[in-house]
Amino acid sequence: MSAKPKVAFFEFTSCEGCQLTVVDSLQDHPELLDAVEIVQFREAISEKGEDYAIAFIEGSCSRPSDEPKLQAIRQQAAIVVALGACAHLGGINAIRNRMPLQEVREYVYGDRAEWFETYEPRPIKDVIKVDAVIPGCPIDRREFIKAVTHLLQGRMPFIPDQPLCMECKLKENICVYTRGKVCLGPITLAGCDAICPTYGDGCEGCRGLIANPNIEAMRQVMHEHGLTDEAIDAKLSMFLTNQIMALEEAG
Amino acid sequence: MSFKIMPKAALPDWVTWLKNRYRVVGPTARQGQYVFAEIASPDELVLDYPTSVLPPKKYLLPQRETLFTFDAQSMQMKANIEWEPTVILGVHTCDMHAIRLLDKVHATGYTDQHYQAHRQHTTLVSIECLSPCMEHSFCKSMGTLTVPEDYDLHLTDLGDSYGVDVGSEKGEALLQGFTAIWDPTSEDYQRINKVMAEKWPRFSYRLNFDVTELPDLLALSNNSSLWNELGDICLGCGQCTKVCPTCYCFDVRDEVDLSLTKGERTRTWDSCQIDRFATVAGGHNFRSTRALRNRHRFMRKGKYHLEAYGLIGCVGCGRCAAACLVHITPVDTFNELYRRHKKGELLEEAKQA
Ligand code: SF4
Ligand code: SF4
Ligand code: SF4
Ligand code: SF4
Ligand code: SF4
Repeated sequence: MSAKPKVAFFEFTSCEGCQLTVVDSLQDHPELLDAVEIVQFREAISEKGEDYAIAFIEGSCSRPSDEPKLQAIRQQAAIVVALGACAHLGGINAIRNRMPLQEVREYVYGDRAEWFETYEPRPIKDVIKVDAVIPGCPIDRREFIKAVTHLLQGRMPFIPDQPLCMECKLKENICVYTRGKVCLGPITLAGCDAICPTYGDGCEGCRGLIANPNIEAMRQVMHEHGLTDEAIDAKLSMFLTNQIMALEEAG
Repeated sequence: MSFKIMPKAALPDWVTWLKNRYRVVGPTARQGQYVFAEIASPDELVLDYPTSVLPPKKYLLPQRETLFTFDAQSMQMKANIEWEPTVILGVHTCDMHAIRLLDKVHATGYTDQHYQAHRQHTTLVSIECLSPCMEHSFCKSMGTLTVPEDYDLHLTDLGDSYGVDVGSEKGEALLQGFTAIWDPTSEDYQRINKVMAEKWPRFSYRLNFDVTELPDLLALSNNSSLWNELGDICLGCGQCTKVCPTCYCFDVRDEVDLSLTKGERTRTWDSCQIDRFATVAGGHNFRSTRALRNRHRFMRKGKYHLEAYGLIGCVGCGRCAAACLVHITPVDTFNELYRRHKKGELLEEAKQA
C-alpha cells in the first residue's frame, strides 16, 4: 500500500504513559509500521512532520495557551483521537477541579503561583471536536491496536459501552467486594479486561463512566461496605471528577 | 439404567482414569469461592462445593467463542466448530435443569451448531444436593431440587461411598473397565433411601406461593411500580445475568488484523441489564430504563421461557442474588409482587395504566 495514513502524536498535560504504551504495542505489533506512517511522535522519533491525517492527543488541556495548539491540530487532522484518561476525562489532573483554583495554585507553587499559567484541566473534547476516544490510565495496548485497525478500515474506533463487571464476571473473578475492598466496576466502562479486579484490587474508574450510570446506587454500595462520605467522594474523584461534576450540573 | 456404588477412596483413581480419556472439569476452590475448572489433579476436585461463581454452562456456551474465521483476500470463510470430549463432574441439580432449558433453546428453530458440538461431546455427571448450598438458593420452590432425566451419571453422597445412577450410555462409558465399583447391597439401598428422606426437610420453600402461579402473577405485574423501585437501586452492572445458568444472550462482533485481510467473527456473553443492550440501528433504545430492563429479566425468568419452551427460566440457583451488590433477588421480587397482588395493588395499577 502506498497511501499509508499519516499519523501524529501530541501530548498535553499528562505523564506520557499512554504514549509509552503505544511504543510498547509497536514492539508487539511491528506490522503497525507497515500500516501507518508516523510523522510526529516525540516519544519515539525526532522528525516533526506537519502533514498528518490522524492525530492522537494525549493529556488534558490545563491552560489557556494549550487551546490554540489544539485548534491547529484540529485544523490539520481529519481524525482526532483522544488517547488515555487525561485526554478523555481530564484525568487525574482534574481532581483539583472541586477546589478553588487560587488555593490550589498557592499550595503547589507557593509564592510563585502567579508565574505559572493554569486553569481547570479539561478533556480535549471541551476544546476541540474529538472523533474517537481510547480510554484508560494508561490505555490498553490491545485496544490501541484494535482502534488503529478500525481507523484503517475507515470506521471510528468502537468500544462497547458496558460496565466493567461484565468483563470481570466473564473471567470469573471473585468480586473484590467479597474480599473487603470497594470497586467502581458497576459504573466504569469495560475494555481493560478488568485488570485491577483480576489482580485483586478495586477498579478506580480510569476508563470513565458508562452511559447513564447509577451514581447514587454506587455510593450506597460503597457506604454499605464501610466507606465514609469523604472516602466515597475521594474514590469518585480520582478519574471521574469532571464527568461527575457534569452529571451534577445536568441534575 | 442401573445403580452402582463407588467407594470414595476410589474417586481419585476414577478421575485419573477419566483424565486419560477426556478433558475433565469440575468444581475447584478459588479465593474462598468455587469455579468450574479443568481438574489437573484429583485432589483439586471439590464435589461437596456450595455453588460456583459461573455455572457449568460455560463449557457449552463459552464466554467468548470464535464462530468463523475469514480471509478477505481469498474470500474464504471457515466455520470454527470446536469440541473436546469433556466430562463435567459435580453438576448440581438446578444447573442440570438449566442445561435442559439451554438444550431446548439451542435445538429450537435454527439449531446452534456451536452449542450442539460442545453438548454432544459433553458427559454430565450430576450430584445430589443434600443441604442448601447457600442462603440465596430456592431450588425447592422452583422444583429443581431433584435431578431431571438428562444426566449421564448422577452421584449421591452416601458417607464413605457414592451412589452412582447410570442414566445413559454416555454415562455408562465413564465406568466401562473401571473396576472399583460394585452393585448395591440391600444396606446400600437402605442408606440411599435414608439420605434422600433426610435431605428434604433441610430445604425450605422460599416463595410464598406455588411456582405454578408465577406466570400469572407476572402477567398482572406489567405496570407494577415495583419495577421503578428496582430500577432506582439497580446499577445496571449485568452481573445477575452473567452468573445465571439460563441466560444465553450474546453479542456478535467481527474483528480483522492490521493487514485488514484476516479476521474472525466472535460472540461474547451479553446482558439485557446493561444500558445499550436494546439499542437498535438508528440509536433507539427500546428498553431505555433500568426499570424496564429489570421487568424484562424477571418476566423472562418467570414467564416468557415457560411460554416459549415449556420450561421455567429460573432454576432457583440464587447466583444472581449472591452477586447483586444492591440485593435485588428473584425471591424478594416475586414475593413482593405476590404481597402487592394480595392487597389488590397489581390489579389497581393494571387498571390505571
Ligand atoms: S470486582 Fe468490581 S468489576 Fe468485578 S464484579 Fe466486583 S464490582 Fe464488578
Ligand atoms: S479496572 Fe478500572 S482502574 Fe483498572 S484499568 Fe480497568 S478501568 Fe482502569
Ligand atoms: S446484579 Fe443487581 S445491580 Fe447489577 S444489573 Fe443485576 S439487578 Fe442490577
Ligand atoms: S435468575 Fe438467578 S436464581 Fe434464577 S436461575 Fe438465574 S441466577 Fe439462578
Ligand atoms: S440451588 Fe439447590 S439445587 Fe442448586 S446447588 Fe443450591 S442446593 Fe443444589
